Amino acid sequence: MFSPGAGTDGYRRLNRKCLLSMYFGHAISYAILLGAFVLVEIYAQGFLGPNYDLVRYAFIAVLAIVLAYMIVSPPVFYARYRYRITEDRIDVRCGILFIRHILVPIERVHQVEVSRGPINSMLGLADVTITTAGGVATLNYLEAEEAEKVAELLDSLVGRMLKERVPGPGVPATEPTGD
Amino acid sequence: MQGTEMIAPGERVRCHPSVIVENSLSVVVLVALLVTRFETTAVAGVLAAAVVALLLFNYRQWKLTTIRFGETEIVVERDTLFKMKKTLPYAKIAAVNVNRGIVNRLFGTSKLQININSGSSATVPEAVLTFREDTADELRSAILERLHDGEVVPDEDEPAESLVSFSPADVVVHGLFSVPTYQTTFGSVFLAYSIVELYTSAGAGFRGDGRALVSLLIFVALQVAPAVSLIFRYYNYRVYRRGETIYLQHGFFRTYKTSFDVSRVNAVRVKSTLAARLLHRSWIEAEVVGLASGTGESLRPVLCLLKDDATQQRLLRELVPEFVYDRNPERQPEGARSMLLIRAAAASLALALAMAYPSLRVYHEAADLAGTAGTVLPWVLPLATLLGVLAIFYATRVSCRITEFDAGKDLFTFVNGAVDRETVVMNYDKVQTVQVERGPVAGFFGVARARVYLLSSTGGASISSGYFSGSRLGVIGETVMERIASGEYDWQKNSV
Repeated sequence: MFSPGAGTDGYRRLNRKCLLSMYFGHAISYAILLGAFVLVEIYAQGFLGPNYDLVRYAFIAVLAIVLAYMIVSPPVFYARYRYRITEDRIDVRCGILFIRHILVPIERVHQVEVSRGPINSMLGLADVTITTAGGVATLNYLEAEEAEKVAELLDSLVGRMLKERVPGPGVPATEPTGD
Repeated sequence: MQGTEMIAPGERVRCHPSVIVENSLSVVVLVALLVTRFETTAVAGVLAAAVVALLLFNYRQWKLTTIRFGETEIVVERDTLFKMKKTLPYAKIAAVNVNRGIVNRLFGTSKLQININSGSSATVPEAVLTFREDTADELRSAILERLHDGEVVPDEDEPAESLVSFSPADVVVHGLFSVPTYQTTFGSVFLAYSIVELYTSAGAGFRGDGRALVSLLIFVALQVAPAVSLIFRYYNYRVYRRGETIYLQHGFFRTYKTSFDVSRVNAVRVKSTLAARLLHRSWIEAEVVGLASGTGESLRPVLCLLKDDATQQRLLRELVPEFVYDRNPERQPEGARSMLLIRAAAASLALALAMAYPSLRVYHEAADLAGTAGTVLPWVLPLATLLGVLAIFYATRVSCRITEFDAGKDLFTFVNGAVDRETVVMNYDKVQTVQVERGPVAGFFGVARARVYLLSSTGGASISSGYFSGSRLGVIGETVMERIASGEYDWQKNSV
């Protein structure tokens, strides 16, 4: 199911544009972190006193680690991300340091939502959030058109399943009891 | 819906007027306390006016809020500035509970709490309606009758023997020893500190700087208050099952009457703290959808208070046989042991690094002190760090020994917890999502952890396994899928 563009194992990969989206997002987060660092540089010396240098070097170390992670993580995320939607399940394999294999039975899907932030809108990408009674699973950085198709597909699969459960005309909903 | 003797079907009714007092009480008490602080009549006058305004507001809320028990649904409507109309179809109701607080006892009323099947609002009842005690009981029976397809629900006040009798001593033991071990440990540290402070200030006529009192208060908040609260909550505890319904009754000041269908139970947890295990005791909790009647942990209904393990197992078999099966548990593989040891080493290193600077500082400052203090204090933090490291490795060793996973035909089990232990038995048909996760170190040793998401008493919740091979944990998801495909999964019983 949903096979166009899928690999031999039936899994689909993301569009490379997701790299750009991640880099944009990371750049914004990093800018905020840098802003915090600048504030520490300007104002913290007074109240940190002799501990100022310690805090400053710790902050610089954190900045360096975060920068390295932000540069390296998008290609790793892209290379590892796979998803597959079949008649009965949604199957996602993803992760950077921690690799996750997420399985959501279609039977458990309550709600499907397509959402796009400003960066994703600019790049023509969207996220699909699948809600179950016990939590949510998200398909990230899908092409907008594909996200709509995925949502439609899930809606139709859930709708079909619910229709199958409604008894047809003349068929009682429950077994008659008594004589 | 069949009406009660007092309420005809479709008739619009209001809650008992005591809700006006109940909703205003906390503010009135607060204002009364404030009035004693302010001596000026002007401030007291303003506060009194605020109380009158609040009473008038609550009176208007009561007057304009009506409830209709219809044929297919309950409608709660409020015709105030912020209008509200809430429709609760009987088909969606998960539980109806009656609950009595002190104010209810004074006015002879009960609170009827109605919960629907919803993960997002599992912790808050959709409707809390106050009626006269007999009316609330009748309404509850009538609604339960609807939920059980017209089957007459036996009156809970009819004498029913609890499956296990719980003496007041059992309730006290439960209150004392079911408090998490970490909480008990922290509480004990603060108690010990306050005793030392009192002892050292005894020479100066107990003229301390209040640190002993603050520590004592923290001890009370961490240890005494939760234990006392549990004792009052589970006083006079009774549990029994009639047909497919489980009934719980307990409470001293506030009484709880809770009932739920067994099909609403998503998982059963057998729990024991370190102290409870030393007494060979454990207790049983259930994850039941839509039973909001408290906060946090107390939302989870307790099926058995701390009892000896044999009684607890007997109760489990009699009360929820649906969650009992012949287990064939498997222990964590060798790779998990290596993984856990590396994790323990990393945690110990982090602890040692975090404690290095404070230890050195205390060492230098305390070395100049004379007498016993000068000998003992410099080594307190290094010793505490060493004990911490030993505790980490001991917990790892215990964790390697006790963590289990078991995949049965209809049920599966996770056993976790080096200190406070928990055995969680889950039904495949209640699993919403399965996630198998492996980090870089776990991946190197060929192990992973599973996280199972299901609807719990507190909304969506995840339950984690120990470290097992990824393919072994993959069985959970595959069994869930197989049961759906083969038709073994009954959506009518399990839909939420």
